[in-house]
Amino acid sequence: MNLIEKYLAAAAGEKEVKPGMDIRAAVSYVAAHDVTAPIAIRQFEEIGVDSVFDPEKVLLIVDHIYPAATEKARKSVWEMDDFSKKYGVKLYKSGQGVIHQLMYENHKANPGDIIVIADSHTCTSGGYGVIGIGVGSTEMAAAMATGKLDLEVPQVVQVYLTGKLKSNVFGKDLILQLGEIFGTDYLTDKGLLLTGPGIEHLSTEERMTVCNMGTELGSMITLFGTQEREADVEETREIDLSSLEPKLSKPFSPVNVSNVSELAGTPVTQVVVGSCTNGRLNDMEQVVKQLSKQPVHPDVNMLVVPSSKTVLAAMEERGWTKIIRDAGATVLNPGCGPCFGAHEGLVSERDLVISTTNRNFPGRMGSIKGQIYLASPATAAASAVAGKITVPAEE
Amino acid sequence: MIVRGKVFKYGDNVDTDVIIPARYLNTSDPQALARHCMEDIDPAFAGSVQPGDVIVARSNFGCGSSREHAPIAIKASGIACVIAASFARIFYRNSINIGLAILECPEAAEKIEAGDQIAIDFDSGVIQNITKNEQYQAQPFPPFIKNIIRHNGLLNAIKNGGTNNE
Repeated sequence: MNLIEKYLAAAAGEKEVKPGMDIRAAVSYVAAHDVTAPIAIRQFEEIGVDSVFDPEKVLLIVDHIYPAATEKARKSVWEMDDFSKKYGVKLYKSGQGVIHQLMYENHKANPGDIIVIADSHTCTSGGYGVIGIGVGSTEMAAAMATGKLDLEVPQVVQVYLTGKLKSNVFGKDLILQLGEIFGTDYLTDKGLLLTGPGIEHLSTEERMTVCNMGTELGSMITLFGTQEREADVEETREIDLSSLEPKLSKPFSPVNVSNVSELAGTPVTQVVVGSCTNGRLNDMEQVVKQLSKQPVHPDVNMLVVPSSKTVLAAMEERGWTKIIRDAGATVLNPGCGPCFGAHEGLVSERDLVISTTNRNFPGRMGSIKGQIYLASPATAAASAVAGKITVPAEE
Repeated sequence: MIVRGKVFKYGDNVDTDVIIPARYLNTSDPQALARHCMEDIDPAFAGSVQPGDVIVARSNFGCGSSREHAPIAIKASGIACVIAASFARIFYRNSINIGLAILECPEAAEKIEAGDQIAIDFDSGVIQNITKNEQYQAQPFPPFIKNIIRHNGLLNAIKNGGTNNE
């Protein structure tokens, strides 16, 4: 068995599992946010059980539309508040941060555990060795009632990494490269397992960025394993990290990938750094490196969104928020920010955005004609300063 | 069970953001969502869809977010079935769980065109193209999925005596 199979077998209480086998796995955390929780709550009440499987292991987090942009959004928070009190589960309702970041900071499952969240980017946890499975609200409600999840054991595709990234290339560039290789549906219902000596040079946060966008490639599970090559997998691809260049996704698909250099010079009107993909302290460090040298170009709105209050506090401690603001950028409150297109930072058909977020579908950030390019924080910040798409300098 | 209706046809990678845009996700009321279903890919859809109509698309239908609002909006709009060459994982499971019928059939996804009249037999998986006088074979659902759809969703199926994957 490979590492994913070993973890699934343990969670299901099976000695051995094989691809295609249906299992019922125990889960260690179940969570939902302000968009998916209201439906999950109603579905849970429909099931008609008296309690959640373990109140310590169920979390509700308001991150998508905080502070409420509409009266309806605020009503969703109250539905979550009522449920939280009724069943004794924790609710984060004061803009503490994005669900996947709060799971990492405050409710970190153990390597090999399975967490189930009603959000497609649950796979982020693969960066710290936890199998994160994104589900819809109804499956989340069922998992909240039972502490179990039914799934089929996936075939596993291994990506064996060697070498070391150049100083201007990051986890974001790696996952975009993988998107270019696999496309949107080659990995549907499969597991993506990253191994090899190259992973030594990727921090946990960089690994989280890589796993976060596994869902854009259709995978069921995305996980970092060990430096050892796994033998018992469906297929293995090798990537030499030192060969990668800064990448970006062009409209309107995360896998529509080019080298940043091919689009250098294209004028930019908005830059967003943040989200569950790239809103952590290491991402902010890249922003500060650029903005401490040069201000943001006057034609660019630059929006910086820490992924949690903890990240924001660490930025403030280091004097980074002042540097960012003094350079002309705006620091928004922790949360999903403009990524989700329901409130702050919406764009019109005249905008061209460089964003460190995970999706650039039509209308993702407002107008269906708004052009969104996905890139690393270093590329985004270099482009904000120059006012045009720019390859970040190597150090 | 047989349904019959006209076809709305779309391409590859229809994502959940175009099925129901984020700006409408401050509600989960099915009728309110249905009014904006497919708005960003086909503004005429919500005004012209009739109960029993069918969406046919190419590969990876429903990619992107886990929002259950997407299959809920499609179901509430009156669509009787979505046929695609393939589906994104979470959308597929969400559809089954809320009782939206979906069928995988690459041949139908390729040959059926917008406006065709089709009839679907869910028991046999046969898709009849009345307009073109053609027939395509989809994979019929496994029994436990048929059971969920017949009960109008996972939770109802559990309440009415359970699914047979217990």
